[in-house]
Order: sequence, then C-alpha cells, then structure tokens
Amino acid sequence: MSALAQTGRVTGGRASWAAQTAEVCRRWTVDLVRQPWGLGVSVIQPVIWIVLFGNVFESIATVPGFGPTDYLTFLVPGILMMTVLYSGAWAGTGFIEDIRSGVMDRLLSSPVSRSSLVAGQLAQQLLMATVQGVIVLGIGWLAGARYDGGVLGLVVALLASLLLAAAFCSMSAAVALLARDQTALIGISTIVVLPATFLSTALMPVALLPDWVETVARFNPLTWATEIARTAMSTDVDWGLVASRGALLTVLAAVVAAWSVSAMRTYQKSL
Amino acid sequence: MPPHAVEAAGLVKTYPGGRGRPDVRALDGLTLTVPAGTVHGLLGLNGAGKSTTTRVLTTLSRASSGEARVAGHDVVRDADQVRRSIGYVSQGTGADVLLTPRENLAMTARLRGASRSASLDRAAALLDRFGLADAADRRTGVLSGGMRRKLDVALGLVDAPRVLFLDEPTTGLDPEARASMWNEIRRLAGEDSLTVVLTTHYLEEADRLADGLSIIDRGRVVAAGSPDSLKAAFAGDTLTVDLVEPDAALVRSVAAGIAGLGDVVVHVEGPVGRLVARTPDGPAVVGPTIAALQAAGVRHGAVGVSRPTLDDVYLRHAGRSWTAAESVPTSGTTSDGSAAAAAQTAEVAR
Repeated sequence: MSALAQTGRVTGGRASWAAQTAEVCRRWTVDLVRQPWGLGVSVIQPVIWIVLFGNVFESIATVPGFGPTDYLTFLVPGILMMTVLYSGAWAGTGFIEDIRSGVMDRLLSSPVSRSSLVAGQLAQQLLMATVQGVIVLGIGWLAGARYDGGVLGLVVALLASLLLAAAFCSMSAAVALLARDQTALIGISTIVVLPATFLSTALMPVALLPDWVETVARFNPLTWATEIARTAMSTDVDWGLVASRGALLTVLAAVVAAWSVSAMRTYQKSL
Repeated sequence: MPPHAVEAAGLVKTYPGGRGRPDVRALDGLTLTVPAGTVHGLLGLNGAGKSTTTRVLTTLSRASSGEARVAGHDVVRDADQVRRSIGYVSQGTGADVLLTPRENLAMTARLRGASRSASLDRAAALLDRFGLADAADRRTGVLSGGMRRKLDVALGLVDAPRVLFLDEPTTGLDPEARASMWNEIRRLAGEDSLTVVLTTHYLEEADRLADGLSIIDRGRVVAAGSPDSLKAAFAGDTLTVDLVEPDAALVRSVAAGIAGLGDVVVHVEGPVGRLVARTPDGPAVVGPTIAALQAAGVRHGAVGVSRPTLDDVYLRHAGRSWTAAESVPTSGTTSDGSAAAAAQTAEVAR
C-alpha cells in the first residue's frame, strides 16, 4: 500500500454547498438516532405536557371569556410550539461538544463552508422538529383534540412550528458558538424559554391574560406561531393572521439564522 | 511543490489577558522553515507556543502579525488553498465518537467533495493501511486510545494532503501504542514522501522521528537543525550526580572549583537534587568531582556520564533543563532562588 497519499486524492473539484450541508445534516441525524435516550425524551416530553396541562388547566375552558373550544383542542397548537421551542433551545450543545472534542478544529481546518456547518445542523433540527410535530398532533388527536382545519391546517401549523424552530435553534447555535460553555447555554436557554412559554398564548387565551402579559405576549414569537396554528386548524381560518404572523416569523428566523452563521465566523476569529 | 512545505516569518500571536491582565504573547516572532518531504518536529514544553504555531499554519488561528506559507499558499490570503493541501490532527480526538471509523472517514471524504463510492473506497483503503479494518464498524467511542489516535491520523490523510500537521500525536498513549504510532509516522514520510510537522514535548520522540527540529521556547524558535547536528554542537559528555539534601549554593561553589566542568546546573526538588554539567572528558572528571563533593560534606547518590542528549540541547538554548522545567508546578527553588524566574527550577551558572 505504498504511496497511498499520492494516489488517494479524492476530490475532483470541491463539494457543493448543498452536498456539504446534506453531509453535515446526515452526520447529526445518525448521532441523534444513536442516542436513544435523547430521542426518547424529546418524544415523551410532549406526551407528558399534553396529559399534564390538559388535566391541570382543563377547568379554564369553563371560565367565562375562554370561548367555545374545548381546552385540549386549544392546547395542542400551544404544545406543538412549546415542543419545538424546548428542543430547539438545546440545538447548540452539539457545537459545544464538537469544540470540546476537537471535531470543530478538524472541520474548520478543512475546506468546508462555514455556513454549511451551521445550515446542516439546522436542517437536522428541523427534520427532528417535523417528526416531533407529527407526533404531538397524533397524540393530541388520540387524546381527543379535533382539527377542523383539515390536512391543510395541519401542514400550515407544522410550517409555523418549523419557522419557530429555525429561529430558536439558530439562537441556541449562536449562543453556543459565542459562549462555548454548556452551562452558559443551558442557563441562557432556560432564562429565555420558560418566560417565553408563560408570556405567550400557548397555554392561556389572550382574554384571560393580565394586561401587561398580553402586551408582552403580542411580541412573542411563540404567540405568533401558536396563533397561526390555532386559526389554521380551526373551521374559520383567518388567512390574514396566518400571513402577517408568518411574515414576522420568517423575518425573525432569517435574522437569527444569519446571526448564527456570523457567530461561527466570530468563533473562528477568536481562536 | 516549492522546496519548502512551510515558511513562516516573524509570527506573533497575542491573546487578550482578560480582567485587566496584560495580553498573553503566545508567539513572539517565530520563524520556521520546513523542507518538503521531511518530518519536522516542533519541540517545546506545554505553553511554549507549539500548538499555537500549528493552529496558525493550519488556518485555524490568525497570527497578530507575521507571514506564513504552507504548500506554497499564504495562510491568510489563500486559506482555502491551504486547507485543501493539509491534514490536521489536533490534540483532541477529532473524530465523532458516535460514528464508526468507516463513517468518520467517509464523511470527511464526502465533505471534501468525493462521491459516495469514492469516499467508501478511500475509507476502506485507510482502514486497511492503519490496521483498523477489524474495528471499522464499531463505534469510535469504544476503541482503545491507540486505535482512536490512528483513526485521527487517518482522518488527516483522507484527501491526500501534501503537509500533515500532528499536534502531540502520542500524548496519552501507552508505550506500545506510541511505538506503533512512531512506525506509522516514519512510514508516511518514507513511502508517501509526505511532509509531516509534528509537535511534541517528548525528547525521545523528536530524536527518533524528526529529520529537522525547531526548539520552541516562549513563542520563539531558540534552536533549529537536525537532532544530530544540534547534539553535535556539544563536544564532550554530560556529567550527572544525584544529590541528597544538597545546599545548592555550596554545590555550585564546589563545582566551580573543579577543572573541566562547565555549564553547571544544580536542580533541587524537595530532599533530592541533581548536579548536571558539561565536560570535554567525562570519565576524567568523575573522580575529582566525587572527591571535591565529599570533601565539602555533600552527600551524593549515583554518578553518571552520558553522551549529549536533546535535553542538553534544550538546556543550552532555553536556559533551563528539560526535566527540571517539566516539573514546574511542584518546584523547589535553588537556595539563592531568584524569585522572578518563577518558571525556572534550575539555574544555569556559566
């Protein structure tokens, strides 16, 4: 096997950005599947939420001002968004692990596009969010929630959840690349995610929120995504609301994704 | 290929000290030349600047000032060309522990533009080459340290680099795995006529592997040349005397009175110490040295005479003994202890 190094040149040209992104996505997907513990938790979590919140807050539906829907049907879109939010907040941990282990060094010293490292990981996160979303909707259905908006409504709801996931995964990735510390990432994620949940309409209709919470909730991406899903999954879809909140989420996701790519460059400059 | 695989001049790298502390100067005007097709060792202690040098040359870090070319390409202006021409094996693992060695290799090939079948062929060839075929489809995380390190090197070779950078390739390996890694590195240089730049703080490793050496201390190259030429600069022998509860100042003054001793170093750590000195004729000075020490009431243990080693080279150029400087955290100081030289446990009296 002599002169292996000379005969082994494998690159004809250079891998396309799409091919690199796909390969990065594939790597993270294999990693995820080989950690059944993490995969299991991300599936069990929404089940617990639906059962827990569904029972604890069931009586809210009887409060005047709640509206005609039953609480579970009201709750499922909120749980859908919370699920991708909580998973997305952890997205950056993979980068921190790569930085710690030396994988990041190896990738950054090779001719791999920096943005494909970020985009490939995001693509894997969105794949996972889609699977989770379908599971949440399925569990909700089994528990008794009804989706009057039909298949189109479900697809719109899932797309909204993906926009929300893209924004939060990118935020987590950016924080991970800037802070480079698991504890910091967990701390920041918790500080952002928990208030975001309660300062939104995910669990509680707007009419029942205190005034100041209602004001904050109006600017909360979690509210935007939940509003899209709720109306799209109802009999009387407000397409204007879907379009306006969809536009807000799209802009947010794009801005945060750009931030995460720039964080990758900032990380390298700090070396 | 230009005649030099690596040419670096005046590299300076400073890191912010943080919290009001002064900046850390990791590289302080480092200049380096590595001829193509050789194994070049960057020898130095932890913190000397070896890894920083490697990171600048592999485009991971950008030098604060200075210039460097690797395989003919500027590391800043043509970073992408440099990345296509090199393999880098960092101190960390570099492999995804959840993937198998085969998957790690194939993924690396794919990221560098190989087709799926070409990437699998390449992975298979490298697995064979490094004796990893039996472990090819187990998770990397369960492999032995030696196997993982071989995989790391294989990952550096996926795209047939012209220059391979190995950052402390054998640190943490047991002696058997280390010997095996040394064979692999020698083979790379021999059969594949690759340029290998490796950092190490093992003198023996540098001596055994490197065609050329750069001794790095405090961010600069303090000596460069082949191991033999560096050692040849020292005619004569090294005299070593183990000491029991020595008074360093007394030992030094005794040694100063012995004809034929030079470059005397007295190193004390706790209750034991060591006298190291250069001499043109080792056997001739053993008798007089022992007599003088005993006359002064200094208790001693083993006395040895040896040919020059890289330790001696390091001692001369870095101004401190290798073995002494390695034991910094637990250091005792010489009795006339110069407190300012906190990093030095031995002092050179010339």
